[in-house]
Amino acid sequence: MRLSLRITVGALAATLALAACSGGTDPADDSADTSSSTGTGGAISIGVTEPGQLIPGRQTVAYDFSMAVWAPLTFIDDQSNLTYVQAESIESDDATTWTITLKDGWTFHDGTPVTAQSYVDAWNTVAYGPNAFENSGQLANVVGYGDLNPAEGDPTTTEMSGLTVVDDLTFTVELVGPDSQFPMQVSQAQTAMYPMPESALADLDAYNTHPVGNGAFELTGDYVEGSPLVVTAYPDYQGDPPTVSQITFVPYTDTGTAYTDVLAGNLDVSSLPADKMAQAATDFGDHVYSFEAPGISFLGLPLWDERYSDIRVREAISMAIDRDTINQVIYGGLYTPATAWTPGIEPGTPEGICGEYCEYHPDEAKALLEEAGGFEGDMEIYYPGGVGLDEFYTAIANNIRQNLGINAYASPSTDWAEFYQTRLDGDVPGPFFSRWGALYPSQQNTLRVFFVEGGGCDMCIPWYDPEVATLIAQADATVDSADAADAYATVQQRIQDEFPAPPLFWEAYSYVTSDRIAKLNTSAAGNPNYSQTILVDGA
Amino acid sequence: MTAARLVTRRVVELLVVFVGVSFVIYAMVFALPGDPIAALGGDRPLPANVVAQLREQFHLDEPVWRQYLYWLSALLHGDLGTNFAGQSVADKLALRWPVTITLALTAWLIEVVVGVALGLWAGLRRGRAADKAVLAGTILASSIPVFVVAVSAQLLFGVRLGWFPVAGTAAGWPMSYLLPAACVALFGLASVARLMRGSVIDTLHSDFVRTLRAKGLPRKEIVGVHVMRNSAIPVLTFLAVDLGYLLGGTVVIEGVFNLPGVGNLLFQAIRAHEGPTVVGVSTALILVFLVTNALVDLLHAVLDPRIRHA
Repeated sequence: MRLSLRITVGALAATLALAACSGGTDPADDSADTSSSTGTGGAISIGVTEPGQLIPGRQTVAYDFSMAVWAPLTFIDDQSNLTYVQAESIESDDATTWTITLKDGWTFHDGTPVTAQSYVDAWNTVAYGPNAFENSGQLANVVGYGDLNPAEGDPTTTEMSGLTVVDDLTFTVELVGPDSQFPMQVSQAQTAMYPMPESALADLDAYNTHPVGNGAFELTGDYVEGSPLVVTAYPDYQGDPPTVSQITFVPYTDTGTAYTDVLAGNLDVSSLPADKMAQAATDFGDHVYSFEAPGISFLGLPLWDERYSDIRVREAISMAIDRDTINQVIYGGLYTPATAWTPGIEPGTPEGICGEYCEYHPDEAKALLEEAGGFEGDMEIYYPGGVGLDEFYTAIANNIRQNLGINAYASPSTDWAEFYQTRLDGDVPGPFFSRWGALYPSQQNTLRVFFVEGGGCDMCIPWYDPEVATLIAQADATVDSADAADAYATVQQRIQDEFPAPPLFWEAYSYVTSDRIAKLNTSAAGNPNYSQTILVDGA
Repeated sequence: MTAARLVTRRVVELLVVFVGVSFVIYAMVFALPGDPIAALGGDRPLPANVVAQLREQFHLDEPVWRQYLYWLSALLHGDLGTNFAGQSVADKLALRWPVTITLALTAWLIEVVVGVALGLWAGLRRGRAADKAVLAGTILASSIPVFVVAVSAQLLFGVRLGWFPVAGTAAGWPMSYLLPAACVALFGLASVARLMRGSVIDTLHSDFVRTLRAKGLPRKEIVGVHVMRNSAIPVLTFLAVDLGYLLGGTVVIEGVFNLPGVGNLLFQAIRAHEGPTVVGVSTALILVFLVTNALVDLLHAVLDPRIRHA
């Protein structure tokens, strides 16, 4: 038995040694000296999802990082006013060919100047099919995009013919059709429209490890997965100076953990997960921010099912849903019940166009359903499981069951991928989850994604009406922005007359902050404008 | 059986189990409903040609057995493959192993020290208040779900009392790892304590202990030298197997405490239906588990001559 004891002691010693040395080589160790608690004044830390991809043409969850490291051509503030950032001007006579002039004297973080060529090269790289960049669709309306993305085989060119460099600071963009909203499409959340320096194009993998932008903050070290990303103010930035000197993006797998870390004061900002909305006010008092966002949700209906073919059935379902109560109980009052077909933050949205049909009238709903001949059979409400939507859809099912007498029940998918596939294939068993967050606050964006075939939110509202498509195209071609907003409102009247799906909520993107944050600012994109965060004195 | 033959047999078994299990995992990820590429952009659709490009690159249009063979042949060339974003799975693993190993070993250490001590204490006081307290404590510890323990501990010790960091590895070892490790260790610790208790009671009643007592050896020496060592064999086996489990079974804890370890990577990969990553990580975990199991068997043979000669 002497042997066994020796082995035990040896194992223990090895354990200790391993634990000690692995502690030292821990990839996340370097965050110790960069977290807000030990940083100098003006540093903030933010909980984010592990970005994976940092190149703006590829990122899908790194919007906050992108907006810190790059400057957009245009910026839309929280009042939906458009201002120029990297662009000096963006002009067009016919809304088809746009001339973009850049501001002089701006540089990338590596010191090279930001030129018209930087934009043209970057956009060609993003759009080039074989690169398979996730955000390349944002450039789909530029002439020549199709040549870089042939249906079969490899493209024969590497450049879009619609992009022309005029001089160092000027280039033109030719679109496939008139589009009055183009200046909005190059605003802050459309990250595929960001420029990249020449050095990026030679080695995109290296660029993903250490992106170099033209924005207010530059990345200090290389990107290491699972470790915080630290950006510091770029001294030569030519735009509005940021109010903070450093931002640390800390990746979290679970937003709930980030929320707890803000509660403990170890982190400054976290987004507010849906299942914590009801308790956030108790936990954080006035450190809860809810920003009006260009997001809207609908209850999608399986319109190929004959039971939903009568408009009165669809209107009855809408009037049976108690949006105010659901908002108060589940979302802590942070959302806004929808009263139109686009989010209220999008200029010109005809608020209230939905009228009584978007209000809670259980008796009228029941009468309307009976008038339409009732509803046979069960109603299975289908939504993506595992993303905190259970209470929401259960509440809707309860409303429909109690107010309309239909045997409605909520049924989650296994995960997002299953739900997404089922919806795309048109195999959903009943009413279903349907939402979209626009990347630029124009009615155009929301109307296109939902109501134009292949517009983005495919099969979210499975109703593709040629008249709506025509009306949207007419609005796109209206150059004057006020007239265009009116034209999009006309589209909504046509949709209202057909009532293809009950509008549910205008979304808010919500955040909680530590005591160090005096004020979190936002923009029309709905996320915080971190570079303009106001810290409390002495923080 | 000679030691060499024993080792050879174990290695062959290991290979067969490895191929079988990795194929099953591959097939399961493949069978998950939904198209992983289409869902890659969240609710924003990827352009059709991007989808086509990626499907071709990852052989997603081919039958599962061919995908598996591609993967296996790459593995034989030392390549664990890449995820759908083109990042190397091996690099990801290399980055995350230290975190998981640190967590598992810390938890293991807690199990050894606290579990063995509690078991010994209870065993020596069989039937008394101390024994009953340990019994009640271990039942409680093994019946509360680890997720509940973790979130409660996080709120109590991290937020309220502020003794430990809430999440992340920024404070390094040991501060960042103690709380999560204690949560992971709780279940195994309870098992170790009860196993040790039973083992100690058995040993105390064995003939040789009675002889030692009759010879007039001091109690301290009987317990410290003879009872401890003989009671340790079954516990040691459990602890060795448990180390394998700890290395692979910390998914929940890594999620709650935001530790960028292997379990965390696996969780993200399963959610994204990333076959190559899931199978790569699982493979590594299977290997760890098989190797620890094989080592336990060999260790047993070393410890107990009866097994060696059977």
